[in-house]
Amino acid sequence: MWKEIGDRERGILRPKSFTTRIKSNRIRTLQISNHKDIVSPHRASINSLQVDLTEGRYLLSGAADASAAVYDVQRATDYEGGGLIAKHKCLFVVDKQHEHGHKYAISSAIWYPVDTGLFITGSHDHHINVWDTNTTQVVMNFKMPGKVYRTAMSSLATTHMLIAAGTEDVQVRLCDIASGAFSHTLSGHRDGVMTVEWSTSSEWVLVTGGCDGAIRFWDIRRAGCFLVLDQSHSQLGRRPTIPEHSATNKALTSKSLSSGQNLNAKPRAQQRKLANGNGTKQSPVGRMPAKGSLRQRLHPGMLSSLDRATAHYGAVTGLKATEDGMYLLSAGSDSRLRLWDVESGCNTLVNFETVRLQAGKPIQLATSQDSALVFVPCMTAVKAFDVWSGNTSQTFRGHYEYVNSCWFSSQEQELYTGGNDKQILVWSPPRMKDLLRIGITGVIDICS
Amino acid sequence: MDKTSEEASSKGKKRQRDQQPTDPQTNQPHHQIFSLEDNLSFTDTLVALRMMRAQFPRIDKVSIQPFILRSQLYSSVKDRTQVDRELESLRREKVVRIFKLNTGQDDHAIMFLDDYLNQMENVVKRLEEKEGDQVFKWFRTHVIDSKLEPSIEHQELYTLLSLGGMVKDGHISLLINAGLLILKSVVLWSFSVLASYTRQLIDPNMYWFAIPNIGSVLKGLSQGRKEVLSFLNRRRYKEMMLASMEKKCLRFSPLDMRFHLRDLIGSGHLKTVQTSTGLLVRVSKD
Repeated sequence: MWKEIGDRERGILRPKSFTTRIKSNRIRTLQISNHKDIVSPHRASINSLQVDLTEGRYLLSGAADASAAVYDVQRATDYEGGGLIAKHKCLFVVDKQHEHGHKYAISSAIWYPVDTGLFITGSHDHHINVWDTNTTQVVMNFKMPGKVYRTAMSSLATTHMLIAAGTEDVQVRLCDIASGAFSHTLSGHRDGVMTVEWSTSSEWVLVTGGCDGAIRFWDIRRAGCFLVLDQSHSQLGRRPTIPEHSATNKALTSKSLSSGQNLNAKPRAQQRKLANGNGTKQSPVGRMPAKGSLRQRLHPGMLSSLDRATAHYGAVTGLKATEDGMYLLSAGSDSRLRLWDVESGCNTLVNFETVRLQAGKPIQLATSQDSALVFVPCMTAVKAFDVWSGNTSQTFRGHYEYVNSCWFSSQEQELYTGGNDKQILVWSPPRMKDLLRIGITGVIDICS
Repeated sequence: MDKTSEEASSKGKKRQRDQQPTDPQTNQPHHQIFSLEDNLSFTDTLVALRMMRAQFPRIDKVSIQPFILRSQLYSSVKDRTQVDRELESLRREKVVRIFKLNTGQDDHAIMFLDDYLNQMENVVKRLEEKEGDQVFKWFRTHVIDSKLEPSIEHQELYTLLSLGGMVKDGHISLLINAGLLILKSVVLWSFSVLASYTRQLIDPNMYWFAIPNIGSVLKGLSQGRKEVLSFLNRRRYKEMMLASMEKKCLRFSPLDMRFHLRDLIGSGHLKTVQTSTGLLVRVSKD
């Protein structure tokens, strides 16, 4: 460590590699924090955690007792144990007693990506609320046709302010904060949608995972999805090999004859604008004909609804895109974690040794910033897997019951996990002070 | 592992198989020279597949070609990603075929293509269908050859079979009756040993490929798994030496203890611990 600082001083080590080295060393020594504690006011299981994307300072948690709370993770509210343990109490809490609060469990609580002035909560009472943080008032409300499982907003978006909502209804709805209405719906899934994630490389691409086991990529500017991930399409390695003959490659990776996916078609952007928050269902044109001959009646963008490829043998419970936008991790209720190459749409066949994953609820995965590690809640423990080899790098055991969500803060190299035991645990690298203190006492013991 | 263990593996087995592996053996008198402990891990997937195929237990009541479960491969080769990738390339080269089983959440059976074709032949011979004889031939030449995935859509099945001749609906029912295809049209809530479940949607147009005549063996598989786990769970410390576990006979399963042990270790229900007296098998707490 000191040698590295010296090298950095002399200019032998680049600043970026210096920081990555320190960060990865710290990540490798993550353990349950002995100097930081988050006091959670929730009285039921914690379903969602997120640290804001602008400052990395405020942690938002949503729980099953319809309460959402915000904590400052950088500044402690008080200290215990002679100043050694920092206690972080919540800055405020909104729960059922609030006049416009949710009535049932909050399944997803996210920050407005631009600043921490707004946050959005989605709940099992079919509503999505947009809250003003400073006044803790609801400024906007969207009514969904079913329980809301996940909400997401794109952190890259500069031209739109859409909330993508995955509910138990088969259609994914996009809610617009600017106008207060639904912008459009995306149909194609055959069962409820448990996870939604925006792509980290394009502000127009949305990835959704459904209870039918399919993962679909949508470009919100046009109808239908442009990619459905199929677990039987696989590539051996990080990127597909350059084909010698393009024909043989097509035979291996092309879709079957009767699938309706049309990658080359350019459908006109048919956006169904609905007025004033009316979430009326619009059935797609020519829905799912039984015989193939009737396929011509479908709009080219809707052909993807015929594609029944599944990414998992059960429901897709968690999705996470890597920071560079090239790979996608998906967790399913078949207890498999899969890594997909987004560009080719293939399964990279990396095997993550998960014995069991939680099946009924959506789970939140987290990746470290350079995407070398993925943190997955596996029942009562959180496991960190190496993304490229699938080996378990670390196991974090501390929760008493199932873990639902985890969030990795790359600024502090800290991991926050929340579970059914109503606790939010902090996992951090040991402090320098502690290491030095152990070092000094060790030396004194030897000398005396 | 190395050649000596390969030879040693089929010595001293209580049940001899019909097809012996390459080298001739001398019967060791009392000891079972072969033990699971020595043969638990291999370097390569193909080697592991061949070894496990050679060690497949012989079942008296049902004539079935050897198959290997995916979880058994995971317990045998260290790197699971390597297993997945090598299996994928073997599948693409048409050396093996992979079938999805309905026992448990993610069970796959791997069978060498020749074994599968032999199994098909045996089943077809026994059926003695005059009319539908050709369907099986068409199935074999057109469908098995070109469709390498474990499932197939109705439309595509029809098209591929039509390459052989006029296909009627009755033909497809023949295939289903023979056990070669299974409809995906049932909502399956299947409970595996650990009571976790998967739900497969009603899909009237898709079929899974299946190994014919395998029903009783699969039943034995699930019952055997339960038996092994309950046996270990009943013990005070939920563990037992691997060497003594192997000697036990299973009451409910025609497959031997070694088969089940490999499967359960690979799927994570059991874990092995190295001790000074040998390998210890323990029920893993998740």
